[in-house]
Amino acid sequence: MFSINDPILTFRFVAVVAVTLVAGVATAQVSQKPADDVAGVRFFESNIRPVLVKHCYECHSKQSGASEGGLRLDTREAVRAGGDRGPAVVPGSPEKSILLTAVTHSDPDLKMPPQKRRLSDSVIADLRKWIETGASDPREEASDELASVRKAGRDFWAFQAPRLSVVPRVDGDVWSRRDVDHFILSKLREQGLVPSSDAEMPALIRRLHFDLIGLPPSPDAIDQFVDRTSKEGVDKALAIEVDDLLASPQFGERWGRHWLDVARFAESSGKDANISFPYAWRYRDYVIDCVNADVPYDRFLTEQLAGDLLPFDSIEERARLLIATGFLAVGTKNLDEMNALQFQADIVDEQIDTVTRAVLGSSVACARCHDHKFDAFSMKDYYALAGIFASTKTYFGTFVSPANRVGGDPLPLPVEAGLPVYHESIKPERVAKLEAELAKLRQEEKDGRAAVFKAIKEGRDASNIFTLSDALRIFWRTGSIKGQLEKVDSDGKALPLTMGVRDREKVVDVPVLKRGEIDQPGDVVPRAFPTVFGLRQANALSKDASGRLEFAQWLTDPQHPLTSRVMVNRIWKHVFGEGLVATVDDFGSTGQLPSHPELLDFLALRFVENEWSIKSMVRELVLSRTYRQASTWREGAFISDPDNRLLWRMPKRRLEAEAIRDAMLAVSGELDRARPEASLVGRVIGDRPISLIGLDKRLPTDLDGSLNRSVYLPVIRDRLPDVLELFDFASASFVTGARETTNVPTQALYLMNSPFVRDRSTALAKRVRDETGDDQKAAINSVFRLCFGRKPDADEETSALKFLSDDSEANGQSPGKGGGADALARFCQAILCTAEFRNID
Amino acid sequence: MIPDLVLPRRSVLKSLASGFGYLAFAGLAQEVAARAAGNSDSELAPKPTHFAPRAKRVIFLCMNGGPSHVDLFDHKPELAKQAGSEVTKFGPRMMPSPFKFAQHGESGLSFSEVCPNVAKHADDICMIHSMQTDLPNHSQAFIQLHTGSFQFTRPSMGAWTVYGLGTENTDLPGFITLNPPADNGGARNYGTSFLPSIFQATKIGTNQIPGFYAKLMGIDQEPGPPLKNIDNSQLSAGQQRRQLDLIRELNASKLKRDAHHPEIEGAIETFELAFRMQHSVPELLDLKSEQPTMLESYGIGAGLPTDRFGRQCLLARRMAEAGVRFIELTAPVGWDHHFLLKDNLAESCLATDQPVAALLADLKQRDMLKDTLVIWAGEFGRTPYAQSGTGRDHNNKGFTIWMAGGGVKGGMAYGATDEFGHKAVENPVSIHDWHATILHLLGLDHERLTFNFAGRDFRLTDVYGDVVHEIIS
Repeated sequence: MFSINDPILTFRFVAVVAVTLVAGVATAQVSQKPADDVAGVRFFESNIRPVLVKHCYECHSKQSGASEGGLRLDTREAVRAGGDRGPAVVPGSPEKSILLTAVTHSDPDLKMPPQKRRLSDSVIADLRKWIETGASDPREEASDELASVRKAGRDFWAFQAPRLSVVPRVDGDVWSRRDVDHFILSKLREQGLVPSSDAEMPALIRRLHFDLIGLPPSPDAIDQFVDRTSKEGVDKALAIEVDDLLASPQFGERWGRHWLDVARFAESSGKDANISFPYAWRYRDYVIDCVNADVPYDRFLTEQLAGDLLPFDSIEERARLLIATGFLAVGTKNLDEMNALQFQADIVDEQIDTVTRAVLGSSVACARCHDHKFDAFSMKDYYALAGIFASTKTYFGTFVSPANRVGGDPLPLPVEAGLPVYHESIKPERVAKLEAELAKLRQEEKDGRAAVFKAIKEGRDASNIFTLSDALRIFWRTGSIKGQLEKVDSDGKALPLTMGVRDREKVVDVPVLKRGEIDQPGDVVPRAFPTVFGLRQANALSKDASGRLEFAQWLTDPQHPLTSRVMVNRIWKHVFGEGLVATVDDFGSTGQLPSHPELLDFLALRFVENEWSIKSMVRELVLSRTYRQASTWREGAFISDPDNRLLWRMPKRRLEAEAIRDAMLAVSGELDRARPEASLVGRVIGDRPISLIGLDKRLPTDLDGSLNRSVYLPVIRDRLPDVLELFDFASASFVTGARETTNVPTQALYLMNSPFVRDRSTALAKRVRDETGDDQKAAINSVFRLCFGRKPDADEETSALKFLSDDSEANGQSPGKGGGADALARFCQAILCTAEFRNID
Repeated sequence: MIPDLVLPRRSVLKSLASGFGYLAFAGLAQEVAARAAGNSDSELAPKPTHFAPRAKRVIFLCMNGGPSHVDLFDHKPELAKQAGSEVTKFGPRMMPSPFKFAQHGESGLSFSEVCPNVAKHADDICMIHSMQTDLPNHSQAFIQLHTGSFQFTRPSMGAWTVYGLGTENTDLPGFITLNPPADNGGARNYGTSFLPSIFQATKIGTNQIPGFYAKLMGIDQEPGPPLKNIDNSQLSAGQQRRQLDLIRELNASKLKRDAHHPEIEGAIETFELAFRMQHSVPELLDLKSEQPTMLESYGIGAGLPTDRFGRQCLLARRMAEAGVRFIELTAPVGWDHHFLLKDNLAESCLATDQPVAALLADLKQRDMLKDTLVIWAGEFGRTPYAQSGTGRDHNNKGFTIWMAGGGVKGGMAYGATDEFGHKAVENPVSIHDWHATILHLLGLDHERLTFNFAGRDFRLTDVYGDVVHEIIS
């Protein structure tokens, strides 16, 4: 079967030895490959690096900016290249290594560290041993501290156009199915690793269903799939299953939510005032529909950035395109800001930050106040973009009140599109009355100001003529009236409204603001796009339009180095648990380098070639052999690659909040798959300060209480429904391409004690009882199949039976009708509480 | 076909041992044995320190946003003298502090007029005026303050502390964070990264009614329990215990099959802890047992500006008493005063000064200050020069944090910034040095408190950090 000459096996043998022998003296000489030398690296990390940092870096490192004697000791190359006196370290030869001469103080002219006591004998012995055994040193120039940061600019990898590379082939490969697999296998092979065997079919289909639609497969779906794999083969069965799932409306609810994380979608303004956004849900539904329709990603982006500027065939399409621009409007707003200029500048800033981070995986917004030495974007780039957004009006639809200092108009949708409206109409008489009152208030303010002006001019005391409280009263009342009138037509009929943007009447170029301060304008910068990418720039932007459409076209230029890369990386992350670039929202100087750069480029190019189809890309990835791997833990591979960057297995993942909740509703048979009308915010809360909704008895305390999918729960900044809050929902204030996974007792308390989980347990018990009657074994079997996609093993069945009988006795009732159902509900809840229920293998 | 070289199935004990994150390498073999024997509580049990500790617990008062040291503690008369002068040609201008400073206590430490109550504890406080952090950006600096590294996801210092010391009350989490911010790294700031997830902070907090409305309507500013779902009146304790036993059994069997699955290891522990918390937490959070004078001293009362942080500080004292190892409170006010610093900084101080002072007094009166390390710190300080004329920008090159109790010298000012408060020039203290010092006070050697992850020993201080022995009493 295997012989010791097999290179993979030799590697394994070495690795195991290295792990076993802590010092691993012999290993370093066996091979120079970094992954081989686990023990050497470990020795370096624990005994050598701290010494170098503590005693040498001050005068010999890039970080300190000093390289005394031409020597740096902060990278492997630098140590070996040495300084004026020659190589500091010659691996295997302590006597030729000047570093050792210096620290032993054997040369009176070269005593290091200078003017200090000699290092301790044990430290010197460590250094000697390190050099003798090959001077293992993992410190690369690129990963060293901020070195990669300094390389920012045109040379930076992410700003180069993706390059097509030849799909690597590995000899004797019968494993790979798709192009992706060749890249993965080749890299695994380079590191002496092998992929894992295929997952068991029930585990695979459970993984696939959760990944694609966020719901568990039904027992029937599992049986059908397993049956088909045995009849038609795994490849075929998988292809059929994947196509079915991609075509189901649940796909958009799952993958649309991924985009909503990136789009920092929320239904309130956040920050101190935190006023609800009652029309934000239209954008949510737009995103879900786009994903289901597989709107090409370039078109999807263009609609969100400039839908208002696109041509349309029908009034319905016009409405859809206006709603799309909600992307630019749903961000956080500091509604306590009193300075209108500052407020506008902050909106523009938020839009620049969101767009560039979401689409380009790097923020231009850092350049608002300064040029940064290490950053690719300049202040000029920032203010060139700022002009585009400053020429754009954002309609966010909150009105002035004592709780809110900033009014923002809502964006009216064409009435003819026939969209549903959830706020009330008012009587025509009421409209007239409000308009009259508004006119009167405006006149009062005008008169008041005139009187003050006159008094001052005549040298009289003006302090009692038109007071601050008069001004405030008028400000608030006017705001409230405007808030009521902007929601209805002249007859008082409620208008369909949304959040979004339109071009302003006046298009402007804006000045650079020194230090980002609104009262420190510098030179005016013509509107344009960042220069770093070396992409063809459009001619000077027209003075007739903001330039958003041209910006969208520039972003979605097939040659753009980042747009396609960032998106395929986001898709990859949701399929494989972690991005090829692990920092999915940061492809910039502080981000990480891609684990498989050629693969990332290959996929980016293919994405564009396939007309930016998200569904095609998902399909490509989930049909790979890489995706089909088991998630089984393997010690040797773990030691080589603990973070599984090379994908030697599929990662085990905890489900997201939505999938956990939806799975509970699905297994209990209660899930209402229909899309609910609007959202709790649009229907019930309306527009008001979120801090006060706790006083509204109509709202459930967990802000849940529905049986619809979780993507339709209200997303209120700093006030999320319990289940979302507890299970690590995306921060709704920022572009979030990767959520956290925490594991805390408050989650356990929710699962054990919340009314929501209790109700699901009761419903699940009822469902199972209806199906299986009094047959306890059948009930247990059914619960396992529904919840875990598998049958219980013998031990589990025994425990479950014991639980049901004990629990019934403890309840003072014999197993059977009433008491039995109760015990079964408690059993069902226990199953919903298990880690297996909310994790996928 | 490439041979699939899965290791032969290992014995239960071995797979459990490797499953628990290679604890054996970290010298914790006895715990592996205990866990393999089914005692999952052991990770939280108290552990021996490396040397005699000075502090048994930490209360970290986290001042999110970068409080201005030159307006609070680091008095710079030169700033007033050079008011308005340009820092560089056409650059920003020096801005004097709008607040008056005075010396307090026998030690004569300086405090500005906006912290009159904390100033009364001058002789218990150790100011470090020479703090430095790597970057002047909130999210990176905030994460670095908490974990030492902003580039990589690393365990927070609270998690390291509980990992190193265990906890004195296994009915409560060893690490609790009250109202942490969702931004600036969010859960990373109290997460465990590669440490076992049981060391992660439990977040406690509630949705607030604004003070204005609370006062107007005569209602409590914090309606409802700060921790939901703590009540299980539906089941008897016995019923729930049996239910939990089943959950545990199923989780353990899954873990056995998976060999290495930290998420499930964590789940087993968190469910047990949650079960115990049902009894311990309601008692802990119930302030009714406190005397009215005690509530008053912390500034607790509907509509008072100190109400919210007062509650947090009082809860912190109760948690400290109950044996929680690491307690972090995030002040419900901002310190990021780019604009209108004079008014806004005063407002932030108004909300926090009295509660912090009350906490110090209360701990002292209970003889707990001697072994409770109280930390007051933000992620950086602010520039001596003006931004927009009314506020200050971020400053990572020199800023002040203070500590009290738990073995630090009271009435001490350590290190110094230049004459303007711009840059630390005397005894600079890095975040790593500061972390090393905190661990040292807790009886832990920062170079020996390691966790082996995939073959490398990691530390809170990475490869850096020098203990600042001068501030230890």
